[in-house]
Amino acid sequence: MSNPGPVTSDVLSVRGLSKAFGAVQALLDVSIDCRSGEIHALVGENGSGKSTLLGIASGFLAPDEGTVEIGGSRLAHHSPAAARRLGLGIAYQDYSHVLDLSVAENLFLAAPADARPAYGQMQSWAHETLATFNLDIPVAAPTGSLPLADRQLLEVAKALLTKPKVLLLDEPTTALGPQDVDGFHTLVLEQVRQGVGVVYVSHRLPEVLAVAGRVTVLRDGVGQGTFEAASVSEDELVALMIGRPLTVAFPERPPLPERADVVLAVAGLRGERFGPVDLEVRKGEILGIAGAEGNGQVPFLRALAGVEPAVGTASCDGAKLDTRSPAGPLRAGVVLLSGDRKGEALFPVLSVRANATIQVLRRLARGGIVLRGRERRAISGLVERLRVRMVSSEQPVQSLSGGNQQKVSLIRPFLRGDVKVILAEEPTQGVDVGARFDIYEALRAKADEGVAAVVKSSDPIELAGLCDRVIVMSRGRIVQEIPRHELGERRIVEAIVGSREGAQT
Amino acid sequence: MTRAWLPLVLMTALIIALGIYADAHSSAFLSKENLSSLLLAALPLIIVSMGQAVALLVGGFDVSVAALMTFCVVLASFTLTPTTSGFALVTGSLALIGVGIGVGLFNAILIRVLRLPSIVATLGTLSILEGGSLWLRGYPQGAINTDVTSALTKSVLGWLPIAFVVVVAVAALADGWLYRTRSGLALRAVGTDERSARRLGMPTGRIVILAFVVCSVMASIAGFYLAAEVQVGSPIIGNQALESIAAAVLGGASLAGGRGSFFGTMLAAFFLTEIDNVLPFFQQPTEYAEMAIGALILLALVLYQAPELIARFRSSRQSIDAVDAPATAA
Repeated sequence: MSNPGPVTSDVLSVRGLSKAFGAVQALLDVSIDCRSGEIHALVGENGSGKSTLLGIASGFLAPDEGTVEIGGSRLAHHSPAAARRLGLGIAYQDYSHVLDLSVAENLFLAAPADARPAYGQMQSWAHETLATFNLDIPVAAPTGSLPLADRQLLEVAKALLTKPKVLLLDEPTTALGPQDVDGFHTLVLEQVRQGVGVVYVSHRLPEVLAVAGRVTVLRDGVGQGTFEAASVSEDELVALMIGRPLTVAFPERPPLPERADVVLAVAGLRGERFGPVDLEVRKGEILGIAGAEGNGQVPFLRALAGVEPAVGTASCDGAKLDTRSPAGPLRAGVVLLSGDRKGEALFPVLSVRANATIQVLRRLARGGIVLRGRERRAISGLVERLRVRMVSSEQPVQSLSGGNQQKVSLIRPFLRGDVKVILAEEPTQGVDVGARFDIYEALRAKADEGVAAVVKSSDPIELAGLCDRVIVMSRGRIVQEIPRHELGERRIVEAIVGSREGAQT
Repeated sequence: MTRAWLPLVLMTALIIALGIYADAHSSAFLSKENLSSLLLAALPLIIVSMGQAVALLVGGFDVSVAALMTFCVVLASFTLTPTTSGFALVTGSLALIGVGIGVGLFNAILIRVLRLPSIVATLGTLSILEGGSLWLRGYPQGAINTDVTSALTKSVLGWLPIAFVVVVAVAALADGWLYRTRSGLALRAVGTDERSARRLGMPTGRIVILAFVVCSVMASIAGFYLAAEVQVGSPIIGNQALESIAAAVLGGASLAGGRGSFFGTMLAAFFLTEIDNVLPFFQQPTEYAEMAIGALILLALVLYQAPELIARFRSSRQSIDAVDAPATAA
């Protein structure tokens, strides 16, 4: 790592990057380079380290080890401003727009000093600039009022304003319809012809392989090799993306009765980032939701719980669900286990007991006074059954491990007794292997009692092992449904990367 | 655009309405003596509020400004005594500005480096400065150089303080900067969405630190005018912390950051002082002023945020509908 190496035409050269977040090794000794006039695809499953790699290359994150060279110069100071100065442009998956400001103001802020017009000419300049990219976006409108597709294209236009030598695109087509993708690719290819190097992160293999020259695969933060796009098949790439060793067992899946009652029925439900979605989940069924991050899975789940706004109908046990606020679904027996455990699911400083019983205090009270004895008796059996590891039930829940925290939030649906639907978002994220099985078992136990469970997970192995059926979401809609007898990591990943799109819908 | 003008129009209307009402009650209100004292009395609050507006623009609060003003008054009773003259007056004045810069940096470090919420960090600074003032002067004591104070309060036409004209011009120029230049836009961007601003390559840390230093320096300049008013090293006179936030908010600043107007702040600070000034004409106790100011802040917040809340509600409905609409891109 000590010698800088020979001078090449690489516009981006990343060497030996490692980065850990706490105990999680997001990247381990990863190298990638991008030549002038090349599209280099970077593919991998959710959580394989693609975004971390882009974050480091663009200066937003500092690596633990390794170097970044942009246009032949070493990025010494890890800041987005420094990376921009060296000639790097990036279009973030979740954008860099100041939503309160207008489109023109956002473009103006993104422009480097030599490309910037006088302040007063901002509007006409913004209009012309967007026209050169063949974009028709109202420049005076607040950016927050734009449709998501426009926001995504504006993000790319902003990155191009600096006339970068290398352009990083992080899932740039998530909000685009198929016909817009072609237009977008024309725009990118035009830049490539002018000598820009593009690092293109996408989970949509057919899309990205149609334009990429080379492709690098990441799995679990480790590079799996770089290949000529023309000489590698989608199947081979999928094989490189999957194949983590199986480290955890799954509970037995009882056969589903042929015609179990539908508990959760969704018709034409749509929100800002998903829909329309039609779906039925039956009694005793665990339904998995797969998809690349940011394709509407989480907003859909949250809309069902009344946490995000949506239009359309959802019903539980035949009764229409009032999703205007979280209170409606809760009353109807629809419980959300949020993926944001500390922020939404739990009260970190309150005790295990208080967190477990908070929804059923009335039942545990006499004359308005909550009886501690009743509370403890109510949870003691469940604490044992779910194997919550703790010193005492008076311990603050934040002092438990991630897995045990999740188990505490799982006590709630057991305590209520009237739960009909459990919506679980990443139920085992940040959970150690030992606790995972307990959580799977708890979800399966509720299903066996007749509850319908919907599990959104970014881990295909988990979905394949736990669920009775998996739906795959892309651009906010259900694009595939995988029945139990077909479930497997490979089958799910293939559906996510779109290599078997249309195989069944 | 209409939203930006609302505070300016409202404040101007209130100032004129209250003035007409006061003039109808007592001809003394528009006398040269009263106008002069009203304009001079308004200066400390106007200056400190314009500083506060900068802190609000980057999404912070500075509640230590009043304590800093007081500390500067006390300090002036040591560095700008009646016997100080010549070059010592310059260094004595620079000491006050230096304290402003120092306190600003101290606040900025607490907020940016040690990541304390700005309201908590500056509350701590407030306490330290209050204690420091009382330690230096246990009670009002130590006259302040009258050459300095009379130079600061010099008037033309017998009633119009030059400093007031300067402050109005500065407020107008500062608004021009905020809404007509890139660095002004950058300040608003950082206050609205710091993460996006950083991604666009802006030095967000430097901008926030600078904002808090400017806020403190403005407070120490306000301290000069407070000193000119009391003319003695009083450790217990500054109480403009809430009023300065009130003035910035009435003048159009958003508590969430990213929006504000220096000219609006100037008008609002003047209006708040006007309330204090006219109450004696009606033989009303000054407690009413405090109650009126509190009620006004709440009213202004509701009034100013209302269009935004309505727009947000509408756009969340619209953007759901927009999902199915064909995208406009080529």
